[in-house]
Amino acid sequence: MPGRWFRVPTLHKIAAAWPWWLLVAALLGVRLSKGAFLLDAYALLSRPFWPGSAQSEWLRSGQRLSDQARLVELERDNQRLRQMLQLDRAGQTLVSAPVISREPAGWWQQLELGKGRRDGIAAGDAVLAPGGLLGRVASTTPTTARVVLLTDGSSRIGVWVGRTQQHALLIGLGTARPRLVFLEKDPGVRPGDVVTTSPASTLLPPNLTIGVVQTLDEQAVPAPEGLVQLSAPVDAVDWVQVVTR
Amino acid sequence: MGVLHRQGWCGATGLAVPLLSLASPAFLKIAGVAPSWAVLWLLPWALVDGPGSGAVAGAALGLVLDALHSGDASQVPVLVLLGWWWGRIGRRGAPIERSFSLGLLALLGALALGLSLMLQLFWQGALPLPLAGWHTLVAQSLVTALLAPLVCSLLLLRWRQVVGWRG
Repeated sequence: MPGRWFRVPTLHKIAAAWPWWLLVAALLGVRLSKGAFLLDAYALLSRPFWPGSAQSEWLRSGQRLSDQARLVELERDNQRLRQMLQLDRAGQTLVSAPVISREPAGWWQQLELGKGRRDGIAAGDAVLAPGGLLGRVASTTPTTARVVLLTDGSSRIGVWVGRTQQHALLIGLGTARPRLVFLEKDPGVRPGDVVTTSPASTLLPPNLTIGVVQTLDEQAVPAPEGLVQLSAPVDAVDWVQVVTR
Repeated sequence: MGVLHRQGWCGATGLAVPLLSLASPAFLKIAGVAPSWAVLWLLPWALVDGPGSGAVAGAALGLVLDALHSGDASQVPVLVLLGWWWGRIGRRGAPIERSFSLGLLALLGALALGLSLMLQLFWQGALPLPLAGWHTLVAQSLVTALLAPLVCSLLLLRWRQVVGWRG
């Protein structure tokens, strides 16, 4: 029958094939939206199999390990550079010493350590605890050392606010929080900034954490002052480390 | 002078003062401040043994305690005066036994000791914030006065017995 193939299908046949049209429209929709519905459907279906807390823990421990390794490398590098600049005292060692007497409040704020001159500890050495700097050795006997804490009224050390690169003076008040006195009129420091020992310090080991600026009085004359919350917990420390020269 | 200082072991109990000051047991502190063990020991000693012995004991205690602290503030003058004063009180009038009297004497002693330390530290520039000094002064006086009836009355009782046997 000539012309049979060119005959236009009747309308009711086209309408009867509506599921196929729907399928084509859906496929076109997927194509035009770059797979939006498909991906959403996949996400919904695969949700029970998404990475859970175990994976994030692995990742975090990997991150920690990498951070620690980097810290060691950077410290070694820093040490080498400081030695090249002759900023560092040669032969610094850490001596662990037990705290045998503790007086964090009262007329004097001091510790007595169970190691002294015989272990190489001398007056002026820095005393560290987990958390940061505690104070400096004031006097020694052959087997003990007396540490004046940063909170003691006679304690005065130069410190450094890393974020704004400002020098300041940390003065003990006899209370739990020493006073931070800036040397410049506009230090740009705000509460929450971390206070460390100066990176150029030769008296104390550089870049040791001391605490966090807690309050700031911008109106103080001649220069702004603040209070510092110390990061090393004196009441809980049983062993400290003395940086001997 | 009394007879108490001739008993070696009675004087040796004074060694407890520097040892307790060093150990500073945490459960006997108020707001982190320890009592003045020197006052707690010197009060019964001076009351029993008289002003001369009290002043000498005060000087000895003061010298030992000064050695335990950094800085130049001294406890010797006030402890000598307190030993002498308490010795006189013990010699004149009726013997002091009541807890309240002991507590009051210890409170006055701790206040005098604290005030002298505060003034010395202030003059030396080691107390930039006087408020911290007041806090220590009040806390130490309170805890000393609260412990005095307990510690001093026991020591008084024991030493009066010793004096009774020997005297």
